[in-house]
Amino acid sequence: MLDLLVQPLSEPFFVRALLAIVLSGTTCACLGAYVVLRRMAFVSTALTHSILPGVVGALLLGLSPYLGALVAALLTAAGAAWLASRKGTSEDSAVGVMLSVMFAAGIALMQQANSWRDFAGLLFGSVVSVGSEDLLVIGVTAAIVLFGLRVLHKELELASFDEEYASLLGARPALMRAVLLVLVALGSVACVRLVGALLTTALFVIPAATGVLLGRTVPQVMAWGAGCAILGGFGGLYLSYYAPAVPSGAGIVLCCALPYLTARLFAPRR
Amino acid sequence: MSRIISALSRHLGEVAFSILPAIPYAPNEPNRCPGIAVSAKQLTAAARLDGPVAFHDATFEIPCGCRTALIGPNGSGKSTLLRVLAGLTPIRSGEVLVAGESPRLGRSRLAYLAQRPHLTELFPLKLRRLLQMGTYAHHGWFEECRHGDEVIDRALTRLGLADLAERPVHTLSGGQLQRALIARAVVQGAEILLLDEPYAALDQPSREIIDRFLFEEGSAFTVVMATHDPADLGRFDRILEMRDGTVSTRHACSGHDHRHA
Repeated sequence: MLDLLVQPLSEPFFVRALLAIVLSGTTCACLGAYVVLRRMAFVSTALTHSILPGVVGALLLGLSPYLGALVAALLTAAGAAWLASRKGTSEDSAVGVMLSVMFAAGIALMQQANSWRDFAGLLFGSVVSVGSEDLLVIGVTAAIVLFGLRVLHKELELASFDEEYASLLGARPALMRAVLLVLVALGSVACVRLVGALLTTALFVIPAATGVLLGRTVPQVMAWGAGCAILGGFGGLYLSYYAPAVPSGAGIVLCCALPYLTARLFAPRR
Repeated sequence: MSRIISALSRHLGEVAFSILPAIPYAPNEPNRCPGIAVSAKQLTAAARLDGPVAFHDATFEIPCGCRTALIGPNGSGKSTLLRVLAGLTPIRSGEVLVAGESPRLGRSRLAYLAQRPHLTELFPLKLRRLLQMGTYAHHGWFEECRHGDEVIDRALTRLGLADLAERPVHTLSGGQLQRALIARAVVQGAEILLLDEPYAALDQPSREIIDRFLFEEGSAFTVVMATHDPADLGRFDRILEMRDGTVSTRHACSGHDHRHA
């Protein structure tokens, strides 16, 4: 039994993948706490899907795919905020418009690049191909996001719990929301390598939803969420190592859902 | 090893906080108010930017320490007036001073309680942490709360919440939550309380505790309270009546005198 766990560790790609999972799983779960508590799951879906045209565009232009992904995600957040600032368009539909427009643009660009197969990893994730450069990008984004969440903890918590009181104290809830969207954009960039543009949102929502069932304070929610993400990530990696028919991204998301279901069934009623 | 790391991070944290601007926690100092808590001249305002005017040319004064009732039928502009004083709604014209300044956001001296507070449901937050939010008024950006534990305990006791400090906020009853929000205003060090129908849908015990807190215990608060209850107008020092877009004062305020007698 122990052999089954230890044996893959002799492969460098597997160790890199585990490290990437720990970093981005923790990042996404901590950010996800606010995404879930503030009901921003749909916005986070839009941001993660909009990475597609960013990466494809950057590859066509010969730029760094991470840069393209970040720019596209920020563009989506700004676009949705701008559309929703006009009367007559709810934020929900503004996000829906941006999501579908960006994703369609991504598909059009992929046709332009004339090769769908190259982008399968982008859509569905390929954690086994994480290189040391990817690891560096993931590490830096994780550091920025976690540092941001730490220093702005009380402002983010206050603005998420009681927006009116936050503005009464001058804590700028609208600014906090914008900061959170930027952090979510950064976090999705860190995850896209692991689970792909289509499933990144799962890493934001599923672990944090587990955390909300188990935690009684925001840091507790984040800790439970990070634990769930790391557990699910490890499970998914081992699963796809021993059953190569299961793609790693899908395996990770499926394994994250297990702790959620367990918590859903057995967590004490709140 | 872990002890070294934790000692190191604590030390680094203290260094970081000593560089950041520390704003000392200021407990509630009674009678800091400069004589007149609220003065309005020819004040006109609307609930929404492009909406109809809620009241116009309102001229009135509220001395410090005065308990004022704001009465009038539904839609007469009571909530809008309170939101104007809190700095949440801009005025159309006229002049209004709250504790000597034009209303704006980011003031610790006044607290506003909405009729139905919009709190995020099922948010993982303990009651003590809710009260701690009151101290944010005295903390800079990026600064974690370090002050005010005794103030929080005192406020919890005064509003009958001492046993509930570790309870999640979403398990509190409506009355307990209302008391918690008033306690948060106390922790904040507010001198002027703007309350929008705090008694709506409140159980009797909560109502009595809030009553005792606002009207009896020699509190130095200036209270402006929208209310529908004609029975308890006698306890107020002054009554502002809002009707058909106008505001009229019905009762002279005896100010501090009778409270300290």
